[in-house]
Amino acid sequence: MKKLISKARVVPVICLGDFLLVPIQIDLDDRTVGLLQQQVLEEIESTRARAVILDVRMVDVIDSYISYTISETAAMARLMGCRTVLCGIQPPVALTLAQMGVMLQDIAVARDLEHALLIAGSQSGVG
Amino acid sequence: MNSNGAVNRVEEMVQELAADSRLQGLWRNFLTAALADNKEKKQVEQLKDSLSLLFEEIGEQAFTAGLRAMAAKNPSLPVTDLLCTVIQVCGEIRRENEQTINNLRQMLPELATPIIRIWTDMLLVALIGNLDSHWAQNIAERLLDRVSAARAKVVLVDVTGVPMIDTAVGGFLIEMFSAIRFLGTDVILTGIKPEVAHTLVKLGVDFRMVTIARDLEDALRKGIAIVTGEKKKRRQLAWVMTGDKESESGEEIDI
Amino acid sequence: MLHKKVDENLDIDRVFDSPAEDFDVFIRIAREEDIAVARQMAKQLAQEAGFSLADVTKIATAVSELARNIYRYAKQGRIMIKKLLDDREGPYLEIIASDNGPGIAEIDLVMTRGYTTYERSLGIGLSGVKRLMDTFAIYSEVGRGTVVITGKRRRKF
Repeated sequence: MKKLISKARVVPVICLGDFLLVPIQIDLDDRTVGLLQQQVLEEIESTRARAVILDVRMVDVIDSYISYTISETAAMARLMGCRTVLCGIQPPVALTLAQMGVMLQDIAVARDLEHALLIAGSQSGVG
Repeated sequence: MNSNGAVNRVEEMVQELAADSRLQGLWRNFLTAALADNKEKKQVEQLKDSLSLLFEEIGEQAFTAGLRAMAAKNPSLPVTDLLCTVIQVCGEIRRENEQTINNLRQMLPELATPIIRIWTDMLLVALIGNLDSHWAQNIAERLLDRVSAARAKVVLVDVTGVPMIDTAVGGFLIEMFSAIRFLGTDVILTGIKPEVAHTLVKLGVDFRMVTIARDLEDALRKGIAIVTGEKKKRRQLAWVMTGDKESESGEEIDI
Repeated sequence: MLHKKVDENLDIDRVFDSPAEDFDVFIRIAREEDIAVARQMAKQLAQEAGFSLADVTKIATAVSELARNIYRYAKQGRIMIKKLLDDREGPYLEIIASDNGPGIAEIDLVMTRGYTTYERSLGIGLSGVKRLMDTFAIYSEVGRGTVVITGKRRRKF
């Protein structure tokens, strides 16, 4: 396992109480997705957040690699005691993921930020 | 130029073609527009209208008979030009009809599958008939857009009107349901008839990602429970967030 | 089987040598960034061709999968996209992904959902493309390369 030492920041991360809010507003190419995963895990460690909310409202394509990395990040975050909530998946993206047969494991899905906060707030401590 | 002679004789021909003054008018409109040398937009419109009306009034057979008689009596009539014009106009009429049919076809799924807001944050869609792949995708796209725009918490899907669910339809429903789940919205499915349940199990299709309800009433009750449950949770959360933040016990209680 | 071969007479060399002018989009895939570029260009073309937003997203996602496969397994190759707007059965978008990579020995296995030789993947790349598109054909020869030809028709309503 390579050590997570990079300080590369590809997305803004907002601390909201015990939660981390990560709005993803960049085009997710493969390198960025990797960096995103690293950054999120580092931020979880340093803030000891109990839930991280990934907002993908602005993401217009989620292919199998991106969804895999998101699931993977969620699984890693879970091992660090942090729950992951994905919110704002756009209808065309949802249809595409469903048709490809993608399942998002270890991850809760929310309609919008408000709903995401609700899920993060009401269930953390359980997972 | 060569049609000038014919133009002068339009009135004569009209008299021969029809006795009825209304039909005479139609023929007159048609002939003057068709024989005009350079056709402007106005004349093309006139041609199209009069031709459609003639077809409607006397039918294609009587129309061609009229043309034939005219050509026999007036050798100077530019029949070829006339026919070309008629064919072009017919093509245009056909294209217009096709457009109308397409528009109707676009409306059809919307008319046949309305998406109804049945309760606060709750939508109802009743699927009817045999779903083919195009129709299915159209419904799925419309439903997801509606769910997203309305921020619906629950979607009730009633399949009472679907006579048969085979692997293809089952697959489509699973896709649609999981797409709705990706938006963070719950799905309640109702209206599965015994024979449909039988084939579903035989096909290995289980709708695990959705809640199943006995009937629409049960579905509505379950849906309302979800909507109000979330409202309650939100109030609790607001209380935790704004209330005494120091006491950790406050958070433990609502778990 | 549909996914075995396009047709028996498919001239794989002709696909490899097809000129860029024959296509509306022609992208060489050699670097990781090219995947995102291919995705964006496919999206734009599908939008121009009048596909619904959901179908535009499906096409862009399929291109993304194909481009990544090229980059991962063959290191380089190309993605070619063509608009066939006056096809008899309606407007059609055709995507060809070709590479001179190692080729695939077990096509049936690769088309199985969940199968992957790559560490970081769900194994739904190619089978995902097939699900997203209307037509799908793959031709591969070990040591020579792989060609995927796939297309999507614009829905009438």
